[in-house]
Order: sequence, then C-alpha cells, then structure tokens
Amino acid sequence: MLRESAISFGYDLDLATVGDPAIPTAIPGGNALLDLVDVALGKSDKPLLDAQQAIINTLGPEALVDAAAVLGNFEMMNRVAEGTGIPIPQQSIDRESEIVAALGLLDLIKG
Amino acid sequence: MFDFARSPVPVRDNLKRAYRNIWAHLAQPGPVLDASHRKVLLDAARTGRSDETPPTGIAPPALELLATTLYTNPAAVSETTVRDAADEASDAAVAETVGLVAMLSAVDGAHRVLGVELEALPNPAPGSPTGRIAQGLKRRRTHIPMPSGAIPRALDLVPEVATVWRNSFGAQYMTESEMALHDFRRVPGLDRAQMELVSSRTSLINECFY
Repeated sequence: MLRESAISFGYDLDLATVGDPAIPTAIPGGNALLDLVDVALGKSDKPLLDAQQAIINTLGPEALVDAAAVLGNFEMMNRVAEGTGIPIPQQSIDRESEIVAALGLLDLIKG
Repeated sequence: MFDFARSPVPVRDNLKRAYRNIWAHLAQPGPVLDASHRKVLLDAARTGRSDETPPTGIAPPALELLATTLYTNPAAVSETTVRDAADEASDAAVAETVGLVAMLSAVDGAHRVLGVELEALPNPAPGSPTGRIAQGLKRRRTHIPMPSGAIPRALDLVPEVATVWRNSFGAQYMTESEMALHDFRRVPGLDRAQMELVSSRTSLINECFY
C-alpha cells in the first residue's frame, strides 16, 4: 500500500528507504518521519525533541500527532498479528511483492 | 485522563476519545478475566519480565509471559508461547490478553512519540467476567480460533474486546472507508503515503509483515 499511495501523490519513492532511513524518501518530511519512528522505538540515539521538532518544522504540529497515532496503531496491529498467528493472505504478499523484495522480507513472511 | 497537557503539540479530540474508550474497557471485567486480573497482566507487561523477575503469582504464569513478551518484544512470541498460555488459561483468555496488550501498546507507543508520561492504568471495576465468548470458531493455521478473513476479525473469539479494538482504528489510522482511498489525506496532518511510511518502518522494526 505504501507504493500505491506514493504513486497517488506523485512521489518517486524508493522502497528501500523503509529499510535504510539514510536513503532519501522523496516523500515530504519522509526521512524525518522515519527518524521519529526509530527514536520512539529505541533504534536511534537522536534526541526525541529534535526528531519531534523536525516534524513540526517540516509538516506541522498536526503531523506529529498523526505520526504518533499511526505508530501506535501499528504497534497494536503487529502484536495482534504475532499473538494470534493470523496468516498473511497470498494476495497481500503478491500486492506487496515489490517491498518484500526491496527489504528482503521473505523470511519474515515464512517465519 | 488523556489531557496531554505536557504534549509539545495539541492532540486532536477523536484520538483522545479513542484512548479513553480503550481505558474504559481495560477497567471493566472481560470475557474471561476480571478487571483485577487484567490490571495485573497489563502492569506486568509494562514492567517487563526477565529470568530475574519472578511472575506475580496472581495471573497464570504462561499468560503473564505471553503478555510481557508481546508487549516488550512481539517478534519473540511463538506458537509455543501462545499455546502454553492457552493450555493453561484457555483460547479466550489468550485472545483477551492479546487484545488488551495490543491496545495498551498503541496508547503507550503514541505517548512515547509525543514524549509524555504514560497514562496510569485505570482502577479495576468490580464484577465477574462476562463469559461472552464466540462459539464455533476454529483454528485456521492460527494460534487461536477465529473466523476466516483479514486481520480485523482476528480477535472475534472475544467479541467485546474485538469491538473496542476495531473502533480504535479510525482515529489512530484510517476508517474503513478512508482505507479504500490511496490518496487519503488527513487535513491538517499526514497524507496516506506519509502514514504508510510510518507504519512500514514500525512493522519492520517489530519484525512483522503487517
């Protein structure tokens, strides 16, 4: 869905950026959003205040709230998926084949 | 509760309402667990558990291990983790625990992004478990029984938990009708591509395809 939505907005997205936030996303504020996720989930030592301010400066205060809510939603969905063991539908794998290949996610799906 | 007075930015009202609805649910007796047991499990999840930390002795140990592992490291939850908890407590207790921990993770995750103190868990309301458990569901190569269909049906074994969970999607992410729009944009706020970037990175870090 990331690919489809990026196309809808005319962004020339490189999907590899999801796995490597150092790659420019070509999405407005995209790298700041990736930084914020990494800081919030303990994958980056950058100060949270800096990551928050980057979002506020580039996308506005409402964007920071949206980012917090979306991150929370996927913290939730990931746990329901892991806890219930719901299988990933083949059509989802097919639809996301590009990102699966770009990020090397086949092991994740099989696991 | 959920006034976000220390947040660096104002928090929209529908998100506050969604979190308050979750908290109101956490405070009530559930299908299998009374409200006190729910709080014990959620406290344990937030505290975390290691080999040096003994289980509380109040909740079933395998269910508590599921709750703490799911909260702290969801990728480490295996079928064995879940089956052990189900053997000890029941499939419905597992479904209820997964739903509660997942919703707690959502609320706490957003608080961490905003850099505000986690909301205290609600005081447990008195009363016995409701016993409302869906009948006739089967395991479909899944850890717990559920109907066929996509992830929003995954907690249908415990309908009252599933309803609160599904009702939180709209404010946190998108409503069902908004999800049909690849060019959805929250105005003011993020467009869908920006939202999907956040969700994809979050899932990747959690080692979860979803």
